[in-house]
Amino acid sequence: MKKLIIFSVTLLLIAAVFAFTVVSPVWKITDKYNISFSSNEAGGIFKTFKGSIAFDEQNLAVSNFDVTVDVASINTGNGLQNKHAKSDEWFDAAKYPVIHYVSKKIVKAGTAYQVTGDLEIHGVKKEFTIPFTFKRTGNTATFNGTFNVNRNDFHIGKPGGDVSDIIKVEVAVPVTK
Amino acid sequence: MLKKLLLLGVISGLLAGIASIIYQKVYAASLGEGFTETVTIAKILGSSVAGTLIAAVGYFLLSKVLKGNTEPVFNLIFTILSFVTILGPFAAKLPMTIEAPELFPGLTIPMHFFPALAWFTLKPLFAKSV
Repeated sequence: MKKLIIFSVTLLLIAAVFAFTVVSPVWKITDKYNISFSSNEAGGIFKTFKGSIAFDEQNLAVSNFDVTVDVASINTGNGLQNKHAKSDEWFDAAKYPVIHYVSKKIVKAGTAYQVTGDLEIHGVKKEFTIPFTFKRTGNTATFNGTFNVNRNDFHIGKPGGDVSDIIKVEVAVPVTK
Repeated sequence: MLKKLLLLGVISGLLAGIASIIYQKVYAASLGEGFTETVTIAKILGSSVAGTLIAAVGYFLLSKVLKGNTEPVFNLIFTILSFVTILGPFAAKLPMTIEAPELFPGLTIPMHFFPALAWFTLKPLFAKSV
């Protein structure tokens, strides 16, 4: 009898935990995304972007991003520049093949949002905040964000030179449920 | 003389354009990328004929100055200028939708030499009148 009560209580507790665990909706990244960067001298896109996105406007506490960009997929529109960008002078794609971003906190900022997390580029990990908007239409939605990255913070290229230190990054990620 | 030179320019330009289009087809078939949206047939023919027409005018002007020595000097200048123009494909910024811009110079650099080749090939046919 005692065993039955313990078993029942355990079962109830497990059921209660599951009942109150709020799972944020997981969004699937479509292949129409655009990850582009621009500065005075250089500009281009990253062709390969993947990861997991769980986002609920009503419950930001359980929302999270874990995304990666394939460094070798960089395309500046010029073959020589691509080779140069992937070399050890800039991104060193052979040694640091991905740019990784993992969110830690998402907050509402006016009509938009701000995600704070760890951004790892070129082997350097830094806390980084990205402002973004989220537009939902039924089962599809789009994340849009524009922000600046100081390439010197991640030891990309030599400071100064022809390419400006501040690189503007634009991200547009359409997603589906 | 200028008329004959311009005719040589147009014919050699068209020949260079046709050679470039054939080369583009072979390139696309073997490497899977012909840059047909960037390097259109109209652009190939237009730039080839424009190049050889400029060469024709250049030859005419040079002949006024150099008289009998025109041929070797002109050939040297035409070849050097053809070499110089290959900087263009290396520096070209293509649309981001193009997957492999690395293959662009391999397609376009030979095309930059076709007008000179066509000119040098057809010039002997016009030798008596030019």
